[in-house]
Amino acid sequence: MNARYPLRLILLILMIVGGLFSVAWAETVFVQAKTAKLRSGKTSLDKVVADLQYGEALEVVKTEGTWTEVRTRSGVTGWIFASKTTTVKPSGGGDDELAKAGRLFKGKEASDATASAGARGLTEVSGEYAKRSGISQRDRDTVDRMTAYKITDQEVEDFLKKGELGEYAK
Amino acid sequence: MNMRNNRAIAAAITFGAIAMLTAWADVSLAADKKSGGSRFGDILGGLGTLAGGLMPIGYEEEQSLGQAIALQVVARFGGTLEQPELMRYVNLVGQAVALTSDRPDIPYHFAVLKDDSINAFAAPAGYVFITNGLLKQIHNEAELAAVLGHEIAHVSQKHILEVIQRSKQLAGVSQAGLAAAKQNPQAFKNIIDTAVKKLLDEGLDQEKETEADALGDVFAARVGYDPTAYLTLLTRLRTLKGDDPAFFKTHPNFSARIDAVQNSIQSHGLKANGVLLAERFARRS
Repeated sequence: MNARYPLRLILLILMIVGGLFSVAWAETVFVQAKTAKLRSGKTSLDKVVADLQYGEALEVVKTEGTWTEVRTRSGVTGWIFASKTTTVKPSGGGDDELAKAGRLFKGKEASDATASAGARGLTEVSGEYAKRSGISQRDRDTVDRMTAYKITDQEVEDFLKKGELGEYAK
Repeated sequence: MNMRNNRAIAAAITFGAIAMLTAWADVSLAADKKSGGSRFGDILGGLGTLAGGLMPIGYEEEQSLGQAIALQVVARFGGTLEQPELMRYVNLVGQAVALTSDRPDIPYHFAVLKDDSINAFAAPAGYVFITNGLLKQIHNEAELAAVLGHEIAHVSQKHILEVIQRSKQLAGVSQAGLAAAKQNPQAFKNIIDTAVKKLLDEGLDQEKETEADALGDVFAARVGYDPTAYLTLLTRLRTLKGDDPAFFKTHPNFSARIDAVQNSIQSHGLKANGVLLAERFARRS
């Protein structure tokens, strides 16, 4: 046997094993914000190449200053403001697994509440509670308005930009 | 099989067991009542109620509980300031912090209470209040962001929900949602009253307040606010009110809070290079 072949075989094995290790060791971070923008460069002026969602897993390529270069599951590479990532997988803010199972178990009550949860202002339950507890109409209206008051994510983004906060810092 | 599936299966098994226990208790109770004996049924019924009380509170249920507590807060503090520009500003700062908090995927609602005392409160499902008295002591947007961050941390860590969960178990109520409000309105009211008393009169456990201080400052720093702004505010309030535990009876004293926040800033590696935005705060826009 030619001595060059075992050498090539060893090199091939090393490359495969090295590749596997690099995949296994690639650091993963998760989006720690309701939404985040993946940009082509590490400034807020760079083009947005993807919109990321809360909890999305990202493979870290490198970190420079306050920005981290990452690769999404769909293969898009770009930069995210590092404060919007976490190394710990977010548990989710709505219902955890037990609560979801609980909703299934509770059946009809959950489906009734779903309808009211999407409605404007007070839910049927809290409205009924207000009546029974003698809460004034003025105070009911206050919580109703508070609940219905909406600020869009874009308005928050504009507010951050004006204040030169986070990724808009100069 | 991944961890998520494992958790889902564990949750399903847990609830399957709870469902069987509750159903078994209900059937046994009915059978006992028919036969005139009640002791065995009572025990099983109690077990079923206990199992129900242990159920985690889902978001829809949390929303109703949060609104009910918010109603009591608004009623007790004489309503909120109805100033559209101020409401928009406080909501913008609050939303900015909430969107990068540890629980960014639920709606948050912010309001200023018409009250001159110095305090702030959070109810479940993202209802956050700051008194006009505390707002008057704040000098810049970074300080406001940290205060709102503290309250958002109570929501993200579900501190009040833990109180309600315990209250549900004591009241023997398996659920505090729509069905409970219709079937047992008094029990639902008792749960809310207990939570309001704990929130407004007795205060949460001090370690929860310390956790909210640390996390709230981290949340504000993630947005880009200077984390030391919160130290400046707490120091100002200590100068104003001292460490008298009668004041801020619902929180640890200021000196303890300042030490804890200082330690948290160091341990989280937060840099004092964020912004304060005093001018924008003065304009409230």
